Amino acid sequence: MCVDCGCGKSIPFGVKVLSVLAPGLLRGKPATGAGAPDQGVQTVTPAPHSPLTVEVHASLLAKNDGAAARNRARFVERRMLALNLVSSPGAGKTTLLSRTVDEFGREHRCAVVVGDLETDNDARRLHRPHVPVAQITTGSACHLDADMVARGVEALDLDGVRVMFIENVGNLVCPASFDLGEAVRVVLLSATEGEDKPLKYPPIFKSAHVVLLTKVDVAGLLGFDCQLAIENIRRVAPQATLIPLSARSGEGLSVWYDYLRQRLLPT
Amino acid sequence: MHEVGIMESAMALVQRHADEQRATCVHRVVLKVGALSGVEPDSLRFAFEVVTRGTRAERAELVIDLVPALIFCGACRTEFPGDRGAIFTCPHCGDLCGEIRSGRELELSRIEMS
Repeated sequence: MCVDCGCGKSIPFGVKVLSVLAPGLLRGKPATGAGAPDQGVQTVTPAPHSPLTVEVHASLLAKNDGAAARNRARFVERRMLALNLVSSPGAGKTTLLSRTVDEFGREHRCAVVVGDLETDNDARRLHRPHVPVAQITTGSACHLDADMVARGVEALDLDGVRVMFIENVGNLVCPASFDLGEAVRVVLLSATEGEDKPLKYPPIFKSAHVVLLTKVDVAGLLGFDCQLAIENIRRVAPQATLIPLSARSGEGLSVWYDYLRQRLLPT
Repeated sequence: MHEVGIMESAMALVQRHADEQRATCVHRVVLKVGALSGVEPDSLRFAFEVVTRGTRAERAELVIDLVPALIFCGACRTEFPGDRGAIFTCPHCGDLCGEIRSGRELELSRIEMS
């Protein structure tokens, strides 16, 4: 069944690593399945066919959270800084990452796992000889989950990789609920959107460690009020580090790279 | 609209427990949903209808216990309810606060069946 809108249509839902554009090999080994752990299940009465109440208290995201914890442990073990980049479609995630791997990526080896519903266009855009990239196509799913990320990461040659960028499916709602095992969640808001987006989509902004205000070079042309957007971000997400930047003009990128440098895991 | 997927996880748990108890009918499913969980109760209700269709939980009642957001103010070292929209301002000192102490819950609490 379609898992997005509940329309009941039969859609081949699944996750595949569509392509790996990297010096490494696609091993194609699926990640070990995560069993949903029981959390203090207590059965009140075991008698069949009489009314009974079972106290379950199980997280509905237990399966994902378990896989996320395994991802996190793997990243830390490999001394890799993992970042989950989330935004609306078209906010500039891929453009920012392209320039980041070109510049910062020359200094510290980066890898990318990128998720989209279909196509490997983003992986092709991000591919460089020095950057292993795995594209995950989610079929109909509106977000990446931790198991998909595990499969993408497993497909890559991670030798010497210090930074793992996970580019989520463009969506400001659903990715908020799904921990991928990242150390840093980065939410992007672009100058081509509304200044009040943080007010409209608070959960994702409240879960952010960093908010990047992107495309600031065209803000003036579009009549986008950067100060108002910054104020809204600060009010909704006071916990987040805020970096205004433009991947085209280069403004603010040194601050972004400094942020990454400061959070690298010591080897 | 990830609520259908989340509800499918919930129903997989419900079915497993119903199997274990050899239950033929699920009467009530109780979920705990935090105000900041990123999940819409209305979408969950819609999803529940869809995913229970043709199952032994088809006639079950879905109860959603909403957990309000509880925010921590680092300056005052106190907690306050985050019930006034998306901006959490400490009622004591007026600081903007980002530390969420509760409100992200998303769990299957209880199943009633026979």
